[in-house]
Amino acid sequence: MRPRIRRPGPLLLVLVALLALIVFPLYELVRGVFTETDASVVDVLASPALREAAFGTLWSALAVTALTLTGATAAALVIERSPRRIRRWMRIGVLLPLLLPPFVSALSWVTAYGRGGLVDDLISVTMPGLFGPFGVVLVITVNALPLAYLVVAAALATRADADLELAARSAGADAATVLRTVTLPALRPALVGGGALVFVVAINAFGIPAVLGTPAGFTTVTTRIYRDLAFSADPAAFSRVLVLAALLVLVTLIVVGTADATAGSRRRPLHRVETPSALPATPRRRDRIALAVVGGYTLVATVIPVLALVLMALTRAVGVTPTPNNWTTANFAEAWSGGTWRAMGNSVVISGVAALVVLVLAGGLILVERKLATRPLGTVAALSFAVPGSALAVAMLLAYGPWLRDTVLLILVAYLAKFWALGHRPLAGAATSLSADVVWAARVSGADRTTTLRTVIVPMLRPAVIAAWLLVFLFGLHELTMSSLLYGPDTATLAVVTLNLQQLGDATVTSALAVALTAIVALAAVPLVWVWRSWTRMGAR
Amino acid sequence: MTLRFRSAVLALLVSAALLVGCGDDADGPIRLYTSVTEGTVNAVVELFEERTELEVEVFRAPTGEVAARIAAEQREGGIQADVLWLTDPLTMQQYAADDVLQAWSPSGADAVPDAYATETFWGTRILSMVIVQGRDIDRPLSAWDDLTDDAYRNAIATPDPGFAGSALAVLGYFASAPEYGFDYYEQLADNGLVVVNAPGEVVTGVAEGRFDAGITLDFSARNAVAKGSPIDIVWPSSGAVAIYSPIAVVDGAGSGAEQFLEHVLTEEAQVAIADTGWQPIRTDVPWDVGGPQVSVDWAALFDQRQDLLDRFQAILDG
Repeated sequence: MRPRIRRPGPLLLVLVALLALIVFPLYELVRGVFTETDASVVDVLASPALREAAFGTLWSALAVTALTLTGATAAALVIERSPRRIRRWMRIGVLLPLLLPPFVSALSWVTAYGRGGLVDDLISVTMPGLFGPFGVVLVITVNALPLAYLVVAAALATRADADLELAARSAGADAATVLRTVTLPALRPALVGGGALVFVVAINAFGIPAVLGTPAGFTTVTTRIYRDLAFSADPAAFSRVLVLAALLVLVTLIVVGTADATAGSRRRPLHRVETPSALPATPRRRDRIALAVVGGYTLVATVIPVLALVLMALTRAVGVTPTPNNWTTANFAEAWSGGTWRAMGNSVVISGVAALVVLVLAGGLILVERKLATRPLGTVAALSFAVPGSALAVAMLLAYGPWLRDTVLLILVAYLAKFWALGHRPLAGAATSLSADVVWAARVSGADRTTTLRTVIVPMLRPAVIAAWLLVFLFGLHELTMSSLLYGPDTATLAVVTLNLQQLGDATVTSALAVALTAIVALAAVPLVWVWRSWTRMGAR
Repeated sequence: MTLRFRSAVLALLVSAALLVGCGDDADGPIRLYTSVTEGTVNAVVELFEERTELEVEVFRAPTGEVAARIAAEQREGGIQADVLWLTDPLTMQQYAADDVLQAWSPSGADAVPDAYATETFWGTRILSMVIVQGRDIDRPLSAWDDLTDDAYRNAIATPDPGFAGSALAVLGYFASAPEYGFDYYEQLADNGLVVVNAPGEVVTGVAEGRFDAGITLDFSARNAVAKGSPIDIVWPSSGAVAIYSPIAVVDGAGSGAEQFLEHVLTEEAQVAIADTGWQPIRTDVPWDVGGPQVSVDWAALFDQRQDLLDRFQAILDG
């Protein structure tokens, strides 16, 4: 018999939080669909424009999910098993896009690879198809890859299959067979979790399809929502926003729900052993190829776009050649005038707190899921992540506006609802690989509940915990729409500043803000990476 | 473990209670919801606070976010704003139709030209939609018709009328002007018109050489020209499309809100608006208009909006 969680604390917390953060606001949103003009639901759903947008959203999200999972798994398997000296650099290369907010990412690709962009200026080459579905899928994939990578890598770090893999190899299986029959099945929970996360990120992506899709006539449900939002003073447009948001909830329910249901709650009672050293050292030639591939990817996907962005930020005006005689710091001064520092402080605090609370909520959700051996609660937590920020903010106003208006709590509640799944999925992926036997063993040896948590569970889950915190923190910092609807006199966030600047339509100043933010976040990430590394090493001991 | 969860929940509840405690009172500051650019709002609000010692709380966001916030508030206990100061008259017309705006006669309203005034809201500044062209294109433009010239095939950009109120105004103007009509958009579409989201993206795209020319706000183009972007503003010979930025008091908001609205129409505030780069509504405040301006029949546009957008989309898809 295993120790049952007798006290109802986590279950109660999770149920109350699910109801308060997700079910109630989404209910308010969906209720709006039926209390507004009633004929409109049918009209909206029947319009050919929406069919086109829904189709575009669905196929591009599926394409992004497939590409991202494949890329992230391959990258994680190669990188996490490379020698330490090159591993660190390759990790950074794959994770870098995480530092850029999506709309900045889109802007940087246009500045780098579009007509009149950096590469065009240098060698007269532009990227065909950058504007259109190809570009949208490509850039969302680059942005979502770190997300899937973190989930898969965290599961690889927690999971213990090295002995199994060695056993398979010594029994005569070739590398491909081992991958197919041992490694991938062991990663399945993480792949499903990561895949669900990426899918949801892709269907509610807005910045990238708005910049790269709209000029080519490629619309998605989110770009349509934003168009209707612009005229939401009109009840018909407002109810279209609600209908489309509800549609995204439904799609998520079906796709993520199905994925969660098929993933089941299979738990693999494996023991952790130190993995990389137990495996045969990889040949040097393979290391070099891996380094070249990851390096090339980083150059094209991050270095060149970011360079183009930095040059844009340094140049005195859009369209002027970015040579040193045209450089200026005026754009940075403009971007950081006024309330930018204060807004940054607000954003950092709210996102940081939200990320911590999300960890508690995600941990609770995982405990409850394990206890009930069921996934539907996790699916529910993903629903609000699928709702575009603008629509979710409206739902929060409908649900909590009268009580929490103008308070920082309203933004916090919205962040928790939006990012719960973002923290939950990486943790759940890793926790599934955490053996119940280890916990049981600790309890049998006399460790009490808290000691077990402190000495066994937390150290083993550390990489996943830090990855989850970091993800929520960065997404909160980059979030553009929710807080710009919900802020009050004392709670202006970076989103508010960014949109203020963006409305002036000066790409050099917007770039300067983006570059400065990215630099600050990158600098802040250095100690964090250091902590992560020392912790993972500690956990491995 | 349970202890941790319990204390986490407790901490949340306590902070909630603390934060909810500091709600606003009835005689509090004037709440202004606006989509007007930050610098302009700040300048006008500072002047007002110095002059009256009343406090103004500003919620500033793009039109869509402001409208969405108001839409949610209307459905849960009513609009919280005292004053609305928006970018284009369409959104304001909706609130007037909803009967949430106060009908009155502010002092200074007689300085607002009739075309830019109603019973409930008044223009505060004028936005002009003009042509922007790259400096190094072979054949410079001079009129709206030039945008259909196949020399600029696939290289003409417009903001999306389904997203930007300014582009919708242009659509409304062309659709109703006898010399243009929807034929003009058919020709633009045949010429490979590119639709981007906002006016600023047109300026950026033209400056970078992605487009030869486009339709945009003169404010955005002027700023880019001032910083040195290689673009020129072309004031269309038949006139730039003028859009006015309206202000209104929400019904029952009180005298502070009325004072603020009257303040925005004063010569002093109008000068501040001009200093921040926008054409003032008062003709007695000096401003160098770039050329002739044409007005839009806003009442008609308000009624036909969806129809216009549908037809625009059909032409682009066609």
